[in-house]
Amino acid sequence: MDAKQDMKNDDTRPFLGFGLGLRTEHYQHVIEHKPQVDWFEIISENYMVPGGKPLANLDKIRADYPMVMHGVSMSIGSTDPLNTNYLKDLKTLINRVEPYWYSDHLCWTHAHNTNSHDLLPLPYNEATINHLASRISQVQDFIGRPMLVENLSSYVTYNESVMSEWEFLNEIAKRSGCYILLDINNIFVSAHNHQFKPKDYINGIDNERVMQFHLAGHSYQGDMIIDTHDHDVCDPVWDLYKYALQRFGAVSTMIERDDNIPEFAELRQELAIAEDIATKALSAEQLHIAGQPVLKGVA
Amino acid sequence: MSALQELQHNFIDYLLGQPSNIAQHIQSTPGLSAEKRLNIYAYAYKARLKEAIGTDYEQLHGYLGDEQFDQLLERFIEKYPSEETNLRYYSINIPTLLRSEEPFNSLPILAEIAEIEAAFADSFDAADSTILTLNDLAPLPESAWETLSFELHPSLQLLSYNYNSFAVWKALSDEEAPPETVQYDSPETWLMWRDSQLITRYRPLLNEEATALAFARQGQSFPAICEALLDYFCEDEVPVKAITFLQTWIQEGLVSKLNY
Ligand SMILES: [Fe+2]
Repeated sequence: MDAKQDMKNDDTRPFLGFGLGLRTEHYQHVIEHKPQVDWFEIISENYMVPGGKPLANLDKIRADYPMVMHGVSMSIGSTDPLNTNYLKDLKTLINRVEPYWYSDHLCWTHAHNTNSHDLLPLPYNEATINHLASRISQVQDFIGRPMLVENLSSYVTYNESVMSEWEFLNEIAKRSGCYILLDINNIFVSAHNHQFKPKDYINGIDNERVMQFHLAGHSYQGDMIIDTHDHDVCDPVWDLYKYALQRFGAVSTMIERDDNIPEFAELRQELAIAEDIATKALSAEQLHIAGQPVLKGVA
Repeated sequence: MSALQELQHNFIDYLLGQPSNIAQHIQSTPGLSAEKRLNIYAYAYKARLKEAIGTDYEQLHGYLGDEQFDQLLERFIEKYPSEETNLRYYSINIPTLLRSEEPFNSLPILAEIAEIEAAFADSFDAADSTILTLNDLAPLPESAWETLSFELHPSLQLLSYNYNSFAVWKALSDEEAPPETVQYDSPETWLMWRDSQLITRYRPLLNEEATALAFARQGQSFPAICEALLDYFCEDEVPVKAITFLQTWIQEGLVSKLNY
């Protein structure tokens, strides 16, 4: 199928442009120099504290930039009850930040009275779909807006899995009404670790559910690729990004960097590569930044 | 128990180094066995927790050196599986472990250094509140002083040490050789708080000010604070001393509200 045929949803998907992950190392630079970047993604948990500098810096930067929120602790796939204190804190932060949207991962982090503080994968089957769709619906009802769910990098496949990750993710999005944060690097990493074709993943994902892209770097560890976010985005991931743009059209894109963090200017230059690729892959009309979110209920 | 719940319990047991059948749930591939794949998670679990603790207790790390600090981390991770939602709070029990377990409890200053670092972290993101200025005292009617009590800034901490831990901590954070450990005859109180510029400040307190501030923090009235100060000053001196303390606290940004 020609990838370009599938762009019908461009006019209903808010396109925020090109963003970066907000990191403490860059607070000072961002506050003082107000560098050009279309938006920032914050890690929600960094600001789920009573007060002080984290929230003061957040407010200052928010005054100058649009934001989206990205969480790591919702544990949406856990068999534990939903963490209502977490959800309350998240809602408080959402009201403070007024982000375009909020996201978390297609994973579980907490079970058995223990928090792994890691993004642990789920078996891809009907029972898990039911479980996740119901929990995501509960979260969305509580927060009052749909959420975005992100695909992981993973290192194990369960014997209980009976479908591909993209089929699983589509089904959850369809049943719960959530959107998809597609991490292009995670597709590349998991494709390598589980021996599937990354383009099959991108072709398999429902276009109308995709709301945001992540890009990041990774590391090789023996036969496996580990999702370390400590390197530049590599060429095969840039190629895959281009492919994804051709398939989905304009999708808000950001680079995640969590370790070995360079100067802001260097990251900004890396983001310019994404802009360049998008400019070549898409029309100027597609890349028009709406400024106003148009998707009902998301913003 | 659902199949998913059973799987998750087993996965957690595996991460915690407990008996687990999780490997039976995982596909092996020609390149990599289920065990090796799982091992990536076991390694990441520990590495992430170690990194979080290391960030929170940098000076303790410097004082203990890599090897003993790692011994502490291993022990802590084994004894304290995380129940925190936010990794920020995972390491709060490090002072408790240092105080209660061999060999760390044979050097009580270790727990005190850890408490100082934990206190800085708490100060950093403690709740915000209004900060009064001396002008807020001016309009007080005479009668107010009979019932006047105070709400202090949420970041305020009174820390009590039996050793010269603050001097050791300071030397470590200035990357200087720490002084010899000295045990005090009686505990020394330090005040720590976050000022209006969001900078954490600290200073030692004499017993009289420590007593007055502890009373103020409990919500005791100004006359009650004055009465407590009779242990340190004669009756004529007390009101002036108490007012001086209050002015200092306000100027330093410690007082959030006056109740009367
Ligand atoms: Fe990501």
